[in-house]
Amino acid sequence: MSIKVFDHTLDALSKSLDLRSQKQTIISSNIANAETPGYQAKTMDFEGELANALELGDTVLERTNEQHMNAGGKIDEVKGEIYNQINNVVREDGNTVDRDAEMVSLAENQIMYSAAADLLKKKLALLKYAISDGGGH
Amino acid sequence: MDFLSSMRISASGLEAQTKRMETISSNLANAESTSPDGPYKRKDPVFTAVADRAHFGEILKNQMDESAQGVMVSEVAEDARPPRLVYNPSHPHARPDGYVEMPNVNSVEEMANMVSAQRSYEANITALNAAKSMAIKALDIGK
Repeated sequence: MSIKVFDHTLDALSKSLDLRSQKQTIISSNIANAETPGYQAKTMDFEGELANALELGDTVLERTNEQHMNAGGKIDEVKGEIYNQINNVVREDGNTVDRDAEMVSLAENQIMYSAAADLLKKKLALLKYAISDGGGH
Repeated sequence: MDFLSSMRISASGLEAQTKRMETISSNLANAESTSPDGPYKRKDPVFTAVADRAHFGEILKNQMDESAQGVMVSEVAEDARPPRLVYNPSHPHARPDGYVEMPNVNSVEEMANMVSAQRSYEANITALNAAKSMAIKALDIGK
């Protein structure tokens, strides 16, 4: 049995923080442009991709062609997908921002970021505990 | 791509809404302004999405850069609606037929616009605060 000090948890949590901060930028962009004529609301998905990468662990599915979809692989390579939101909120000037939905995403993203940051802190504290031979500080 | 970029975008939103508020104030203040050359014309800011750049000359690097867009007021357009005509022959700016051309400003419309600008401003502040608290949370990991 092998025990890894630095397992996938750290990678996954830091990747999650990274992607959440990107998502925050997208949401800010949507909110700032809530009244810009013709602006297309964007959204970012990465949860599925990250979960896949975690599940596969060290197994990497090679892509033999650039056009192939990313079937999951290394956590480092998870980029998330940014696309134009498809919803029914279209103003007459072509703007598709749903302001209420954006505020909800904003709150959700913030809470998830906070949770990941807390977990990362806990994980590091555990490592510190182990390194100090259980002796605490 | 970081929190600073997110905060810059929210700041651009605040700036745009402030400019919008300024034009609304101008419209309301001049709701009765006339002149011999014609009345005051209602102003309306035009918002345009702009890619966020930390500094001039930064080039597009990836998909993310294109989707992170701030907002700016690209121009302040004049409302083309015709002036409101009020019959008042004693007015110094009255036309020969006795009608005065009053500004095409509708106070109720401006008030509704004002509330909308205020709400948008608040939404941007909320986004800014979220980015700020997330950045502080990230710094907290190291403690």
